[in-house]
Amino acid sequence: MAAQFLSPPLSLRFSLRELRGGLRGFRLFVACLALGVAVIAGIGTLSAAIVASLEQNGRSLLGGDIEFRLVQRPADAAQQAFLRRRGRLSETVTMRAMAHAPNSDQRTLVELKAIDGAYPLYGELALEQPIALADALAPRDGVPGAVVDPQTLLRLAAKPGDPIELGDAMFEIRGVIAREPDKATQGLTLGPRVMIGLDALPATGLIKPGSLAYWHYRIGLPPGIAAAEVEAAAKADFAAVGWRIRTWRDGSPGIRRFLGRASLFLVLVGLTALLIGGVGVANAVHAHLDGKTTTIATLKSLGATTGFIFRVYLWQTLLLAAIGIVLGLVLGAALPNLAAGLLAAILPLPLVPGIYAAPLWLAAIYGLLVALAFAIWPLARAADIRPAALYRDLVARGRRWPRPPYVAATFLLFLALAGLAVLGAEERPFALFFVIGAVAAFLLFRAVAIGIALAARHVRPSRGGARLKLALASLHRPGAATSALLLSLGVSLTLLVAVALVEGNLQAQVQDRLPGDVPAFFFLDIQPDQRQALTDMVKATPGTHDLEIVPNLRGRITSIKGVPADRIDAAPDQRWVLQGDRGITFARDLPKGSSLIAGQWWPADYNGPPLVSIEARAARGLGLEVGDTLSVNVLGREIEATVANIRQLDWSSFGINYVLVFSPGLMERAPHTLLATVKADDAAAEAALFRSATQRFRNVSVVRIKDVLSELNAIIAKLGLAIRSAAGVTLIAGLLVLAGALAAEHRRRLREGAVLKALGATRRDILTAHLIEYGLIGLCGAVLAFLLGWAVAWAMTTHMMGSSFFFAPGRAALTALGGGAATLLLGLAGAWQALAAKPAPLLRAT
Amino acid sequence: MAPSKAKPSAGEQRAIVALSDVHLTLTSTAGPVNILRGIDLNVMPGEHVGIVGPSGSGKSTLLAVIAGLERVSSGKVDVAGADLNGLSEDRLALWRRNHVGIVFQSFHLIPTMTALENVAVPLELAGAADAAGRAQAALAEVGLGHRQAHYPAQLSGGEQQRVALARAVAARPALLLVDEPTGNLDGGTGQAIIDLIFNEAGKLGSTLILITHDDKLAARCDRVLRIEDGRIIGDTGDRAAAGLQRRTAD
Repeated sequence: MAAQFLSPPLSLRFSLRELRGGLRGFRLFVACLALGVAVIAGIGTLSAAIVASLEQNGRSLLGGDIEFRLVQRPADAAQQAFLRRRGRLSETVTMRAMAHAPNSDQRTLVELKAIDGAYPLYGELALEQPIALADALAPRDGVPGAVVDPQTLLRLAAKPGDPIELGDAMFEIRGVIAREPDKATQGLTLGPRVMIGLDALPATGLIKPGSLAYWHYRIGLPPGIAAAEVEAAAKADFAAVGWRIRTWRDGSPGIRRFLGRASLFLVLVGLTALLIGGVGVANAVHAHLDGKTTTIATLKSLGATTGFIFRVYLWQTLLLAAIGIVLGLVLGAALPNLAAGLLAAILPLPLVPGIYAAPLWLAAIYGLLVALAFAIWPLARAADIRPAALYRDLVARGRRWPRPPYVAATFLLFLALAGLAVLGAEERPFALFFVIGAVAAFLLFRAVAIGIALAARHVRPSRGGARLKLALASLHRPGAATSALLLSLGVSLTLLVAVALVEGNLQAQVQDRLPGDVPAFFFLDIQPDQRQALTDMVKATPGTHDLEIVPNLRGRITSIKGVPADRIDAAPDQRWVLQGDRGITFARDLPKGSSLIAGQWWPADYNGPPLVSIEARAARGLGLEVGDTLSVNVLGREIEATVANIRQLDWSSFGINYVLVFSPGLMERAPHTLLATVKADDAAAEAALFRSATQRFRNVSVVRIKDVLSELNAIIAKLGLAIRSAAGVTLIAGLLVLAGALAAEHRRRLREGAVLKALGATRRDILTAHLIEYGLIGLCGAVLAFLLGWAVAWAMTTHMMGSSFFFAPGRAALTALGGGAATLLLGLAGAWQALAAKPAPLLRAT
Repeated sequence: MAPSKAKPSAGEQRAIVALSDVHLTLTSTAGPVNILRGIDLNVMPGEHVGIVGPSGSGKSTLLAVIAGLERVSSGKVDVAGADLNGLSEDRLALWRRNHVGIVFQSFHLIPTMTALENVAVPLELAGAADAAGRAQAALAEVGLGHRQAHYPAQLSGGEQQRVALARAVAARPALLLVDEPTGNLDGGTGQAIIDLIFNEAGKLGSTLILITHDDKLAARCDRVLRIEDGRIIGDTGDRAAAGLQRRTAD
């Protein structure tokens, strides 16, 4: 009957009347929600705009409707005939090579691309010079042309018109590439682009047996023919070719994977900001309802039930949450679109501006769940206010928990949040790790806050006098902000400390371990008959040593235990092993830096059926054990091997590491090249080796590790900046909560300050008491955040990235202490007005 | 509703308020505080009862007990046909909206609602069909028909108390509980309010229980209870029947 009378419209009407008092107290409530929702919506919109761009530009990014890629060999006549029948065919070859500018005598590693006349089938290759691409590459006076990336010119100290030597052939630089339509999908690059005509490639002599070159066959399909049909026909007719087939719809899996991971991480950071904001929401609701005790008691004395009161204030919370969420959605949807121009400079492809519903819905649901999860508790407690509160405060509010249904609702809402975060993520272990970490952090900081309050209550300081007692009393009195401050700042600082430590760790691995352990160069594409000459050259170059040479082939895992690779449900962090061609090698002895954890290494003179050694994490991720079989396609030939053992290795050692190491024998007879690393004592030795190697072995690509590392460092720095900026948002959320908690306390502090002054306390006494109070909270928050952030960073580095953890505390300590100091300063700023106020007017008012 | 187990005090008619050996003790950090110590009280329907006594004697607590706002530590509380001890907080709220009107000393108007909305609250909560119309009428009764759209902060103390009275009587309760109606008002305004209260209670035929410091005001009631230290120490019950008969005759 009650439900019938007290239908939602009446509670909504009451709720709206109640809101006439204004939204002043709710500004921070709205801001807390808007901030978190904006981050999640913004990241989601950006990600969706990139995905839309991938789809819209899919054909030009891939270079065709469908691409067939072969490694180390071109398609044979039958395959080419098959491809040619399907539509317009374009053939390109990509590889790494050394470029030499005779005028400046500079050499550099470049990404070489040899193109035919049909390139590009989609999109446009733009040159800075007003010249057609075909004309630029055509021979003039017997010298073919090349077009290059601006970086190539810089590294070679060359200019258009200069000659450039690639392998055994000379080219003339005819143009500078302004835009290459299919550049975004080329993956990891070790050098800038040089583009030549396909006809001119043989003369370079760079294509040798086993050379790491890729043949790309792109087809522009006629209308009405779907890429998937061609893919199916190719798989049916050429099952064992071992080519990688991509259609324009899935042409950029690498970008999609990276995007998926980055947006997952950033969305979780946004969720952290939202959760911290949730503390602000709870505080705001609590403070608002504290001021409504008389109204609630009056309504109850007039016949309102607990449920009715709950609904009245739940409506208010929902209305305010809606304002915060809409504000967040507007900001989140607008920012990536407004910043599209700025982002164009750092993103590999243009954004497709627009309003994307899915990420906005997700952000709105997160916002609503957080608002409710944090608001129901204080709402339910307020609804339980007894009407006797009109007569005495003593019974107005106990420390009781809300009724069980409300506790259950709160629990379910948090569960829904966790479920959404985990189930919505592609990499669920990572999301689960986040959820467990967030729960642990919230519980820990809450527990410590309770501990501080308990300690403050029971400590009887023998020294420190009234100031210390005042500070201690403020820490534990009912409604003290201790818990909110510790929670909000602690969690945000933990995240910042963890991010700082992980980033510091990555940089430490890349930078600080140089030069001792790391080779100076990688030599790629060494022909087996060049092995001795290379060894002699290194011996003859003073200051160079530790030459390590291993065979190098390319192969693709096609099946595991008889199950085709595309049907294997691999662990997300090991899927890359199944994607495309991987470097494989063969060895007689266990490679340096590896240790066996299962099975046995084969005898050095083994010459039986193929055996394979697999790296431990890959084995785990692919579900492989000793005795299992896997098939690899090498140069179009299927090779089945039995897993003989499982190896553990340190990926960060910069040595030559392979997931798959085969037994010698069959593999030895396959066309292959060699890969070598060498160490150098100093820059002079490095320079000497670079010069002689590039002069002597024109087909060999020389990769300077330092160049790769500085590229890596630049990427880490960029990523670090993005992640730190996102994590910085959580600090803003923390500061909002802090400001809210201080605002809620403002009147109490004013009154308390006035009474204390009336009783003879000086400003210094009051300031010192505040200093002790906020100093203690800031210090505890900083120390705890540092320890917890350290633990999180350690877990992420060792368990999720699989590398060893270096403790680089500098920036993390600064972050934690800075956050702690911010607490102290904001707290004191809040107290300043209490110090400045004259006591008399305040005492009269109360 | 649980039937009243209180014994009728006069003839066949059953008491609207029947308290039996009511004790109320609150615990505080300084130890237990005995506020009511064995109250026995029967009030007949239509009776006008004044409760007088010094500050802290337990008058307001007694009123809160009768209104179901405060739970007793022991004893029986039967009001308007219900055993209040057996009702949950929410059942008490539902019971109050049907049977009781309360005028608080501090008015307790809801600051974010207009005078009209304040008066309409109990009617709306009870699901009354024409809550606004009845609230308008109630406001007009107390002479504030022209102040409907004003918020409490825009009204004088006397006006606020009249809004509170209109709110208490709007649902035509059988029991009207009034706590120190003139405590926050000046003499002239207080007198006008008192007249209104007696007027309204008489028109509705409601039982009126009124708490006051003022013996002269109490004397306008059919019956005066004197309470001290949580006990009833005086009861002019003999006047009640006469007063009741006189109003019934009128």
